[in-house]
Amino acid sequence: MFELVQGWLQRPNYFAFVLLFLWGIYIMVTRYNLVKKLIGMYLMQTSVIFFFVTVSYKEHATVPILIDPTEVIRPEIYANPLPHVLTLTAIVVGVATLGVSLALADAIYKKYGSLDEEDILKKLE
Amino acid sequence: MMRHLPAIIFLLPLALAICMPLLGMRKQAWCRPLAIIAMAVMALVAFVNLVGVVQTGGIHYEFGGWAAPVGIEWVNDGLASVMIMALSVMALVCVIFISSVLFPNLGTRVVHFYTLVLLLVAGLVGIVFAGDLFNLFVFLEVSALCGYALVGLAGGKALVAGFRYLILGTFGASLYLLGVGYFYAETGTLNMADLALRIPDLVSSKAVAVGILFMFIGLGIKMALVPLHGWLPDAYTYAPDRVTPMLASLVTKAALLGWVRILFWVLGAKAVIFQIPVLFLVGFLGAVAALIGAFLALSQEDIKRMFAYGGLSHIGLILVGISMGNHTGFSGGLFYLLTDAVMQGGLFFWAGALIHLYGIRTIHDLSRLREAPGWLSGVLVVLAMSMIGIPPTGGFFGKWYIVLGAIEARNYLAIVAVLIATLLTLAYFVKLFERIFRDRVAGQVETVRDIPLAVRICLGTASASAVILGLLSDQVIGFLLRTAIPPGL
Repeated sequence: MFELVQGWLQRPNYFAFVLLFLWGIYIMVTRYNLVKKLIGMYLMQTSVIFFFVTVSYKEHATVPILIDPTEVIRPEIYANPLPHVLTLTAIVVGVATLGVSLALADAIYKKYGSLDEEDILKKLE
Repeated sequence: MMRHLPAIIFLLPLALAICMPLLGMRKQAWCRPLAIIAMAVMALVAFVNLVGVVQTGGIHYEFGGWAAPVGIEWVNDGLASVMIMALSVMALVCVIFISSVLFPNLGTRVVHFYTLVLLLVAGLVGIVFAGDLFNLFVFLEVSALCGYALVGLAGGKALVAGFRYLILGTFGASLYLLGVGYFYAETGTLNMADLALRIPDLVSSKAVAVGILFMFIGLGIKMALVPLHGWLPDAYTYAPDRVTPMLASLVTKAALLGWVRILFWVLGAKAVIFQIPVLFLVGFLGAVAALIGAFLALSQEDIKRMFAYGGLSHIGLILVGISMGNHTGFSGGLFYLLTDAVMQGGLFFWAGALIHLYGIRTIHDLSRLREAPGWLSGVLVVLAMSMIGIPPTGGFFGKWYIVLGAIEARNYLAIVAVLIATLLTLAYFVKLFERIFRDRVAGQVETVRDIPLAVRICLGTASASAVILGLLSDQVIGFLLRTAIPPGL
């Protein structure tokens, strides 16, 4: 048990990722309000993006851009750009999902006059 | 030119989807013929591509000329070319069905509607071709987003079903992305061919094992594998009747194909996680899905819902086939995937036509079908024969090869599961036919409408293809055995 907690404390960023991910799922499962569910969903998506960023983090690293073409290339000072690019795409996907989901939630509200899942399920019957 | 065929197949629906709002502003009547023409051209190009792959043995298509591990590549091999061929033909038939005059007029929304349908097709093409894990994720989300919107389009209950589909689908996608992240953190690459070289050295790695598990659960939600199928029955029942065939025949199958690609081309057939062979896990869950899906279908009253559960059971059967770990089972599973796309499309064409022609939604209304032309029941008979697995239809030969594969693997439990699933399928179709042919309670005669030509074409094509696939099963299976067997199986 002690080693486990110690392991978490040594990697606070991974701990934060797990916490955010589970928190998002918890909100999605326990809240009846559709918009709150979406907040949980977005939190979960963002935590995965956070995971990608934290995996690629490197101390004192810079962006892999050559200021001068004659400059000597030193791989150790650059951060890996690929996860950041993936992150960008994942953010775009997340925003698109959020857009569609809010549109659906809006349509549900207009149709049933409520955002509470239990209310809506009652009206469905 | 031949090299660029995969990109052309993808760009046809994508480019038209982007142009559609612009064209639609000028003339809404153009949307329908343009979409059909684009799908027809796509099917033609897919056929040329298939012939090219048969002759040259397939290529890895590099985008922008960047070679594989650095750039993004698409895999245009035997498996992908066959599936693209089937996908584009089914998409063509579905778009013809979608544009039928049977359905209420969409008014100004027609432009957005066709845009979504074309984007969905583009996303599915991407899933089939993708040779890169992250690329696969992006296309999964492109097609899924269009799917959510199309389900919600019907309004009313469909909105709630679409919302649930969205929540669960996004959860699956996030799990898949997390699995990709684990793979990337462990290997430093996302390219499937490159990963396949590095994964064998990392079999003992916990990160890879957990990554596999996350990917499988994520794709399992997308392909509606039974314990994870919560979104599917409602979504398919309440989705607009015109798009249900397209969703049912293509979307879950594409996710399944993505998993086949990862399982056999990245992990290899002998992958083991936490002392459990992945193939065993997949086969076990497939058998469970086949049984539970068919069992739940038996207790449904709503026709569309019944067919949706039938589809769940067939996803399980395909997984049983591919997980046998031998060539016979694998090609049988893939053949069943092709047949299932046709059967699901056909069944939902039939259900959609019935709702809009005669107002028949549940099996209690089916006795009214006797006022309908006899061939409408005939189509169902052919499709049901294929669903159950009666020769000479495609469904029979698919199941036959799956069972042969199971015998070869000495997996007798799988055989039992397939047989019980078959019996349950027979049972729920008997339930349907009993209502059609035996029920004495005559319903009031509806004003019988003429069946539009488009619907006739779709129903005819679907039932004919189910039989043709059966008659040509030797050739198709032979082709799959020659070109689509993964390395190391």
